[in-house]
Amino acid sequence: MLTAVFLLFFQLSKSQDNSLVAVGNHTGTPSEMKYSELKAILMGETQRWKNGKRILIALMKPNTPTGQTTSSRIYDMSGDELNKFWLALVFQGKAAAPTFFNSETELEHFVAQNPGAIGIIDEPVTNDIKVIPIDGKTPLNL
Amino acid sequence: MVFSLKTRIWLTVFSIVIMFTFFTLYYFPAQERQLLLKNYNTELQNLANTVAFGVSIALIEQHFEGVETAMQFVKDDPRLQFVSIVELDTAWSEDRQHYNLEKKVFKTFPETEHPRPDIKSGSGIVIKRGAFASPIMSGDILLAFSTKDINESEAKIRHTSLIVSGIVLLIGILLGLLLARKVSVPVLALRDAARKISEGDLSQKVKITSADEIGQLGKAFNEMVDDLDVARKELHKNNQELSATNARLNNTLSELKSTQVQLIQSEKMASLGELTAGIAHEIQNPLNFVNNFSDVNTELIDEMRIEIEKGNYEEVIAIAGSIRENQDKITHHGKRADGIVKGMLHHSRTSSGQKETTDINALADEYLRLSYHGLRAKDKSFNATLKTEFDKTAGQIKIISQDIGRVFLNLFNNAFYAVMEKKRELENSEMGNLGKYEPTVFVSTKRSDNQVEIRIKDNGRGISEKVLDKIYQPFFTTKPTGQGTGLGLSLSYDIIKAHGGEIKVDTKEGEYAEFIIDLPA
Repeated sequence: MLTAVFLLFFQLSKSQDNSLVAVGNHTGTPSEMKYSELKAILMGETQRWKNGKRILIALMKPNTPTGQTTSSRIYDMSGDELNKFWLALVFQGKAAAPTFFNSETELEHFVAQNPGAIGIIDEPVTNDIKVIPIDGKTPLNL
Repeated sequence: MVFSLKTRIWLTVFSIVIMFTFFTLYYFPAQERQLLLKNYNTELQNLANTVAFGVSIALIEQHFEGVETAMQFVKDDPRLQFVSIVELDTAWSEDRQHYNLEKKVFKTFPETEHPRPDIKSGSGIVIKRGAFASPIMSGDILLAFSTKDINESEAKIRHTSLIVSGIVLLIGILLGLLLARKVSVPVLALRDAARKISEGDLSQKVKITSADEIGQLGKAFNEMVDDLDVARKELHKNNQELSATNARLNNTLSELKSTQVQLIQSEKMASLGELTAGIAHEIQNPLNFVNNFSDVNTELIDEMRIEIEKGNYEEVIAIAGSIRENQDKITHHGKRADGIVKGMLHHSRTSSGQKETTDINALADEYLRLSYHGLRAKDKSFNATLKTEFDKTAGQIKIISQDIGRVFLNLFNNAFYAVMEKKRELENSEMGNLGKYEPTVFVSTKRSDNQVEIRIKDNGRGISEKVLDKIYQPFFTTKPTGQGTGLGLSLSYDIIKAHGGEIKVDTKEGEYAEFIIDLPA
């Protein structure tokens, strides 16, 4: 019981913390990036890594706390606006569709399994993926 | 308008080709186009629905692979004109009291296209809509595809149809030529042969080139010509025989006519013979007067000579007056005898055929007496009452008197014969008693508007029903052989008809017979 209360408090403190971390597959992703490069990737403007490998974007769904933080902090959009944004890009073929997840574990697993994949999460819990410092900082300094 | 067989064949083939061309060039391509359009619409509607479903999933589940896949499928289709997301948005009034639902194009692929949200299918383009709905956004997927492929397919079908029609036309021409050769040529040959046959040339035969109906027709035609030739030869032969028979019949007819003339003359002479006794009686009467008055005059002349010698001149003058009176009577009766003889000669002469004005009453009376006295001369015991009732107004009518006299004589002779026979039958009957029977022959005339009616009636045996319709036939007689030629009534009938008149009979067997003659006045 005490453990459960502790975990709940821990989770709530994490979400209130609103920190975001860029994580990537060990293969095909750079060891660090500038924020502008990250933003260009997440906005669908850059679709391939410098080595030519296709960039796979993994995001938390906008109805999750991390998703909401991602929408507001990185995209400066609401969840609905983010959906519409990606719908427009995918519909017009301007960008490959990102993959949205309900849980960060699934997201981390996806990133770990797909070379060239990059994702935004709250805090990595596995070593199967690497944390990509942005402008030399982790988490993102927004 | 009459079309030749060849023209009809060509018209038939041409009509078939035209109909086929219509179907291949217009009907079938139109049907094909409709079918293609139907399938095309269904396919596009499915595409629009698929994209709309993908959009719904993307907006609700943030699962964009569906949209990506569907759009990939659409974008790769070369028929695509554009695809748009039409968003249904709520437009509030300024006071926020009312709102309208407005459609606006959210995004379009390719971006160069800017369609109106209410665009409809038109020339060369098909528009399909697939509805989607999500809490974020609702609206339609607007899918616009070109009908170019369908038009090209239709054009291709038409092109193929045109080629097929050309081939069919070529086949039609060949078929027409074949039919013309197989049907028209033999039929025309038959026609030409038939024409020559109708002109009398039976040597015509048609060449048989096939075993079908046309060939059978030609064979039948040739057989018919052969039969016709045989029939014509037989006909010619029969005709010759008929001509010979006809010549013989003409000879026979001439002989018959000659015989008829002789018979008529014989009948005339027979009636003349019957007249002779009557005429003799008629002449005897005035001759008696002449002889008697001559004898009286001879005696008176002797007396007058004696009185002259005596000088008794008054008596001489009286005797001379008597002689004069007797001489007048002699002259009168002499002229009467002369008239009778002239009448007999008149009767025996062949008819002149010229009508002359004749006193019909006098003619009837003369022949009545001649007939009666003729019979009396043969049979002194015969007596009959002669009754006449002549209409004085009957007067003079234009007739051939010899011919009408002959009619009267025949009818009077028959009448007297009938009463004589009846009297004889009554005398020879078991009763042997004449009773009150008095043989009577009655003749009357009567004038009406334009004709004169003569009735000759006797109270003799009458005419039986069985023979009534035969009495005018030549050579028909009820008299014993040698007593009648059977030509009397026949000639009488012809004479009355030749005068434009009519003869009828009214009779009751055993009681009377009455002949009624109507002559134009």
